[in-house]
Parts: sequence; C-alpha cells; structure tokens
Amino acid sequence: MGVFNRIGPQGLRILALLAVLGLIVAFFAVQIEGYLNGRLFNRISSSVAIMALIATGQTLVILTRNIDLSVGSVVGFSAFATGSLISNHPDLNPLLLLTYSALVGTGFGVVNGLMVAYARVPSIIVTLASMALFRSFLVEYSDAKSITSDSLPAWLVDFPNMPVFSVGAMEFRAGFVASLVVVVLVHLALTRLRPARQFFAVGSNPEAADMAGIDAKRVVFAAFVLSGLMAGLAGFMFLARFGNITVVAGLGFELKSVASSVVGGVNIFGGSGSVIGAFLGAIMVDLLETSLVRWAVVSEFWREAVLGALILAAVATDTVFSRKLVAMRVARAHKAALAEKGASK
Amino acid sequence: MMMKHVLGAAAALMLGGASFAYAEALKLEGGKSTDMVLLPKFLGILVFDQANEGAQEAHAELANPGKLEFTGPTPENSVAGQIEIMTTAATQKLGAVMLSNNAGDQIAPAAEAAQAAGTKVVTWDSPVPSGAGESVFVAQVDFGSIGVVMADMAHSILGGKGQMAVLSATPDAANQNAWIEAMKVALAADAKYADIELVDVVYGDDQAEVSYNRALALVDKYPDLGLIMSPTTVGIQASAKAMQDEGLCDKVKVSGLGLPSEMVSYTMNGCAPEFALWDFRDLGYLTYFTAYGLATGQLKGEVGESFTAGRMGDFTIEEDPSRAGSKRILMGPFTVYTKDNVEAAAK
Repeated sequence: MGVFNRIGPQGLRILALLAVLGLIVAFFAVQIEGYLNGRLFNRISSSVAIMALIATGQTLVILTRNIDLSVGSVVGFSAFATGSLISNHPDLNPLLLLTYSALVGTGFGVVNGLMVAYARVPSIIVTLASMALFRSFLVEYSDAKSITSDSLPAWLVDFPNMPVFSVGAMEFRAGFVASLVVVVLVHLALTRLRPARQFFAVGSNPEAADMAGIDAKRVVFAAFVLSGLMAGLAGFMFLARFGNITVVAGLGFELKSVASSVVGGVNIFGGSGSVIGAFLGAIMVDLLETSLVRWAVVSEFWREAVLGALILAAVATDTVFSRKLVAMRVARAHKAALAEKGASK
Repeated sequence: MMMKHVLGAAAALMLGGASFAYAEALKLEGGKSTDMVLLPKFLGILVFDQANEGAQEAHAELANPGKLEFTGPTPENSVAGQIEIMTTAATQKLGAVMLSNNAGDQIAPAAEAAQAAGTKVVTWDSPVPSGAGESVFVAQVDFGSIGVVMADMAHSILGGKGQMAVLSATPDAANQNAWIEAMKVALAADAKYADIELVDVVYGDDQAEVSYNRALALVDKYPDLGLIMSPTTVGIQASAKAMQDEGLCDKVKVSGLGLPSEMVSYTMNGCAPEFALWDFRDLGYLTYFTAYGLATGQLKGEVGESFTAGRMGDFTIEEDPSRAGSKRILMGPFTVYTKDNVEAAAK
C-alpha cells in the first residue's frame, strides 16, 4: 500500500499506459498467428528510436503551452545536411558528426524560440510557417540530389542495428538503446532538477510562474531550442537508419510526434505530462500501425481510419484507468486517515 | 559504353512504324515564342530535375525566345500547390503547362480553366485520371507493358514459383494503380506465371520510413514471401534497405521501378537482382516538343497527328487505351537493370 500511495499521478498514468499496451499486444496475439515473438520487439524498438527523440522534444514544447510543427522539416534538413557532410568528409570523427547534426537542429530551434518567446507570435503560426520554410531550405540545399547509403561510412549505417545486448530473441539495438538513454536522462532532469521544473510551472500557470520570479520567455525559448536539438539528433538517427535521404525525409513527423505525446498523457494545454509517457505513446502508435498491417481483418483503405479510432480508444481507456487509479488511491488515503483518527481517539 | 539491356515495348515500335504509312510526320518549326511551365509533383526529386534537363535541352534546340520555367510545390504542399500553380497559369497567358499530376482529379477544374484561357495542359509521368482539362498525356511507357515487365522480373527472380507482394506509393496514385492492375492482368494471362501468387498490396506513402516498416510487416505477415515488388523509387529502395538490415536478402528479394544510382549497391549484393526504369531526360525532352507544338498551334492535339521530336524520332498522338476518351503519346522503351549494367548507369 505504501508503494502505491507514493506513486504520483504521472506514475499512475504510466501504469495505465502500460496496461493498455499489454491489452493491445494480447488482442493482436490472439488475432495474428506468430505475432508474439522477439522479432516484434525488434521491429517496434528499432522503428520507435527516431520518434522517441522527436516526441521528447515535442513534449517539452507542449508542456509550456506551445506546439512545434516544424520538427519534421528539421529532421529532414539535419538528416540531409549531416549526410552531405559525411559523404564529402568520410573520415570525420563520429562525435563531430553527431554534434553537427545536433547543432543544425538547435539552430532551427533558436529561430522558432526567438519568434515565439520574444516576438510573441503564437507558436502554431510560427512553426506552421517554419515547417514550410525549413522544408523549402531543404529543397534548395539538396539541389534535387539524394543522399544514398553507399556514400555513407559503414560505422554510421551499421550503428542503429548493432545489438548491444539480447534477452532471448529480443535484441536491444544501439539505436534504441541510445534513444532510451536520452529519454531517461530528460525524464530525470524534468523530475529532479529545479530549473527543469520551470517547464511545468510556466505551462500550468504562467502568471504564478512570473510572480515566482521565473523568466517565462527564457523557458519557452529553451523548450523550442531543446525541441530543435532533439529533432537534430533524430535527423542523425534517421540518416543512419534509412541511408537514403530525399527532400521528403521526415514528412508528417510533426503530427505523429504530437499524437505520441498526447497518447502518452501529455496535456495538450500544457503543464502536465512526462517524456516517459510520450515514449510509451510513440510505442503505442507504432505498435498499432505495424499490427494493423498484419491484421487481415482490416483492408488497406480502412487502416488509417481504424488507426485513428484505436488511438482514440487507447487514450480514452488510459484516461479512465488512470482516473480509477487516482480515485482508488484517494479512497485508500481517506480510509487510512479515518483509521488513524479512530486509533488516536 | 553503357551496356544497356533494352526491352523493347513492341507495341510502341509497331505504332511508330505504322504512322509512316498514314501521315508524314510534322517537323516542328523552331523560333516561335511561347512561355511554358514544367510542373513536377514537387521539387527536390532527382527524376523531376532530370526531366527538366531534357525540357531545357529541347527548349534550346527549338530556339524558343519565350521562357521555360521549372516550378513546383514543396513536398508537404504537393496537391494544393499544384492546383494553385495551375490556377495562376491561366491568368498568366502561358502557352502550356507541362504537369506531372499528383492531385488526381482535383486538378481538373483548374486545368479546364487554364484550357479555357488558351493554355495547353500536357501531362507527363502521371496523367489526370479522368482526362478532363488535359490536352494530351506523354506516357513514359505503355502501362500494359509495365505490367508485363514486372511480371517477367518476378518470374525470373522467383524462378517461376513463389509468393510476392506489392509495395506501392499511395492508394490514390493513378499511375501506380494502373501498373499494379496491368501486372495482375499479365500474371493471369500467361500460364507460365501460374505458380506466382500475389498475396498483398500495401502502401508506403512514398516515404522512406513508412515503406521500410511496411516491407518488414509484409515479411512478418507472409513467412513464405519470396519477393517484394515496388513500382516506386522510394519504396524499392526502402524495401531493399530493410531486407539488407535484417539479413533477409537470401530469402526475400526486391524488384520494381528504381533509380540506378540509389539501387546499385543492392543490385550488386543480390538484394534487388533486377529492376526497371525509363529515362526521365527523354521524357522531359519529348514532353517539351509536344507542348511546344500545341502551344504554337502547329499541332492541334488530334488523334493520328504525327510529329518529329528532335533526336528521339517520330511520335503519333493516339487514343489512350487505359483511359477511354483521352489521348496519349507513347515514349517507351525502358531499361531493365541487372548487375551487368547498373554500375555504368549509376555514374
């Protein structure tokens, strides 16, 4: 009982998400022959490594009551720019290349951040414009050339699929492990570090945050810069995983990252949520997508609609679950308090 | 020297030959001024830039004092952007718009408005499905013969027996659907394909990550799958990469329509032993000649008209067999790439 009471509402939310994930896996395991095996884990984990990073950045932005629609274009641009750099300088140090990709993304994040935080233009407008603008930069920069995997060094192409360790047939590959490390680090920072708590403060009550002496502009600016940084890192992963980069790279990632965050329990109005939740949300969206392709009952034309319906159902179920859990905890706390009162009399 | 293994589109040659018997091919008179726009699905894709090179070559050769502009939407805005550019074209008194249509029949009202304002609409690569608002479609290859070539590649890769699945672009891509349909017809028509089973058609949205995941899902769904046929340059590359990454190339091969420069490593290592494509420079070149002829009034755009398209020879406007009531000009042939010729073509 003590453990149960010590888990905060966010923790309960994550428990509920895990329960829904379990239900989805159980459902498809009954429906699809040969579904439940190590290969399923390998598919989902390798695929989610990229979206996990983007959703982490998106979560930081949504926490501050904003949205970043330019992430898909930033992923595309940094993937292309990084690929172009390594093709021309094949002996470049891997860390320098990673830094370059991160800096490209951060640069775009700075532009968004300045416009939203200091020029006070609503983020949906700024990032809708910069989504098109950054994509146009990519079209211009690429000169209609593609990056192909044979122009990339072997270490880069092999990196995402390199097994770090295995549990049975489940391989934990380097791409997934790297993403997981980033997600956990950001999660720890958000829950343990004082400056990082400001994201929640600004998002849940800007006036109160202001009175408490928090520089809201700086916090919003930081959220966009970090989102750009994450998209830059995701661009690096995208390049390593797919090898072939054209101007459509990362198209549609903005909405998928918002979906992952919201499915993962991040409040779209800001102030509450967790990056672990967004990570689980990304897994859930990916799992549903992959499973639907393999599920013979749904035809290609209905798949998108069914995916949408299932995401809604997942969000609803998980909201109900976490409310139930919160209610249960309140009831127990109440009982405990009563019992204590009785004892002291 | 490029050692090309060229598959003739026999129908194209026969039609080309036949046209001599009926009408003298018109030699287009150069030097007339007309402004034209080459409108790709969106900007930043290699094949469309190659088509532009071909069109620019024809533009210089015909000494058109007018302008040839290469404009298109950005990738995330393709459909709306194409309609917008087409709508603007009507007000600019352009001679012709050369369109690789990505907007399905949604483009038809804007194309009809352009026609009414005197602007010819010549489609290439991908037509207007209903043919509304379109003067003529310059077809890269006969859609039926693409079906036969894909069936033949499947036959040769599978050794005449096995399961294959198709990974297409989007469910509403007119050219993709026509080719898949043509392949089904080809598979059913000849007894030698009897043991090849087409188990599924899935869509990768012409995006690397979606196509990659779909290809792996196909492998998981059909344990006996022997071949993924992808008639799109994005899908074929992503499938080949996915099979290579997961060490599945020995079991599941990849084929379809691809770019030699993107496919060379997969062809050499056996993941994608055969694939096909046509020359987009030639397609742009022929499209320009057609549009120039129509815009300057030298061609009327009627069935049976023949003209000479510079270095490429004579072509005739004919009924489009895959779209009743519409007209087309057939380019053909296309090239099948194997490890014998892909390296030379990739350079």
